[in-house]
Amino acid sequence: MARAVRSGTRVDTVLLVACCVMALLATVLPLNLREAIAGGLRRTVVAPLVSLQEQAVRGRSAFLSRDATTSRLDSVALRNMQLAKLETENERLRALLGLGRELQWGFVSAEALRIADIGEEHSRTLTVGSRVGVEPKTPVIAPEGLVGMVRTVDPNSSIAILWSHSDFAASAMSADRSAYGIVYPHLSESGRDAEIPPERYLLEMRGVAFRSALKPGTLIVTSGLGGVYPAGIPIGTVLGELRTSEGWARTYLVRPAVRPPDVSNVIVLLPKRIQGQSLDRVWRSTMSADSAARRIAAAGDSLARRAAVDSMRAVEAAAVRRAADSVGGQPARPGGTRPPGADTARRAPPRADTTRPAVRRPDAPRPGTQP
Amino acid sequence: MSWTRSARAVLAFTLLVLLHYTIRPFLGWRTPVDFLVIAVLLSAVRVRPGAAALIGFCTGLVADSLTPSAFGAGALAMTAVGASASWLKAVFFADNVVLHGFFFFVGKWAFDIVYVTAERRMHGVELATQLLLWSPLSAAATAVAGVVLLLMLRPVLEPQAA
Repeated sequence: MARAVRSGTRVDTVLLVACCVMALLATVLPLNLREAIAGGLRRTVVAPLVSLQEQAVRGRSAFLSRDATTSRLDSVALRNMQLAKLETENERLRALLGLGRELQWGFVSAEALRIADIGEEHSRTLTVGSRVGVEPKTPVIAPEGLVGMVRTVDPNSSIAILWSHSDFAASAMSADRSAYGIVYPHLSESGRDAEIPPERYLLEMRGVAFRSALKPGTLIVTSGLGGVYPAGIPIGTVLGELRTSEGWARTYLVRPAVRPPDVSNVIVLLPKRIQGQSLDRVWRSTMSADSAARRIAAAGDSLARRAAVDSMRAVEAAAVRRAADSVGGQPARPGGTRPPGADTARRAPPRADTTRPAVRRPDAPRPGTQP
Repeated sequence: MSWTRSARAVLAFTLLVLLHYTIRPFLGWRTPVDFLVIAVLLSAVRVRPGAAALIGFCTGLVADSLTPSAFGAGALAMTAVGASASWLKAVFFADNVVLHGFFFFVGKWAFDIVYVTAERRMHGVELATQLLLWSPLSAAATAVAGVVLLLMLRPVLEPQAA
């Protein structure tokens, strides 16, 4: 019994000493040998543990970066939401450019800044002033139509009232010139007729002769009478007739062409441009400008497509030419395969004084065929 | 030790090794819990010192394979800790949680001392900070985790007689 215990103790001691010696040896091994042993262990016994550790580390990184990822996602979503706004603004600016192109001369473009003061929601500060020729009572327009007019002018800025301002009035007519009247802002808070849409910003066209009945949807433009607004600027479309106590004239409710929240970039017509010139042709052209732009874009696309096809053909032809050169006189067929045995056939080396047969271009007409 | 008890001990050992390579890197603490030390200590008290030394050596070698620059240091430290724990097991056979916690604490600290010394990478203030600040903190975390795991694994390691 005592001997067995002694023997067991001896085995334990031997094992312990052996393990310690091996561990100490491992610490003093050359680096490449240590790396070799460690690499062997990592690739075999420890491989599942290494994989587990990697996954745990990856999980921790994902957990730690969760907040950052979430905020990045939020910002991307926010930017995505702003894209629609930017697209709209882009379209408006493009339309403004089209309007400027049609007007050709006698105008300045400006930025319309919202005035933050209470009660000034129907006015805008324009970023142009008397230095570029802006004067009081000059019209302010947008691609959609009439915006308002300049009220006060400073050297570098001016203040314009919108058509929704209570002081606004414009001489107007139907687009077919069958009815004339004066357009004012519709100041009542709610629609008086049930069939009229409850829009906050509307216009009234007053003083229309009783015999001149206007159908809903009729376009109302400036008439040019009064000398402030040139004729032909769209104001809005008729929504319906308003019932008034006056029996000798009609009053129509008009949906404005320009929505005040959309007023951001405008064109100010200079006085010399206003005098005696109708602008209705300008808007007719502007309305077709969008479709023209689409046509131009489509034409550009088709040109690009054609250029791409041409370049593809050129690349193909070059490849065919190279292939023909490598075959050494065997003209390759474009898009086709080489004749069987071209690689294996023994050919006599070409003589120096012989000329290589001409390689036919793929786009060249075939001999004997009519184009 | 019967086969059933051996199988249960091996199961608990494997579980602790798996925890070392999953929970520990996931937590990423500055004072990490050393599940391998807990595994070696719990195994060592159930086998003879020679076997405990062998278990410690193999476990340390596995741990060292991921740190080739300190290759052998972990094996040496685990061998020492395992053999010492097996020789001193009579002291810790008492079913006392606090004693077990102390056992884990001392085991982990001793492991760190041997490991850092054998590694020969740290010197001066850095070595002192490691051995007197971070190692005790890590040992404390290991002790707490060891006690919790011991309580959870008690049905596996020491099944009640029917």
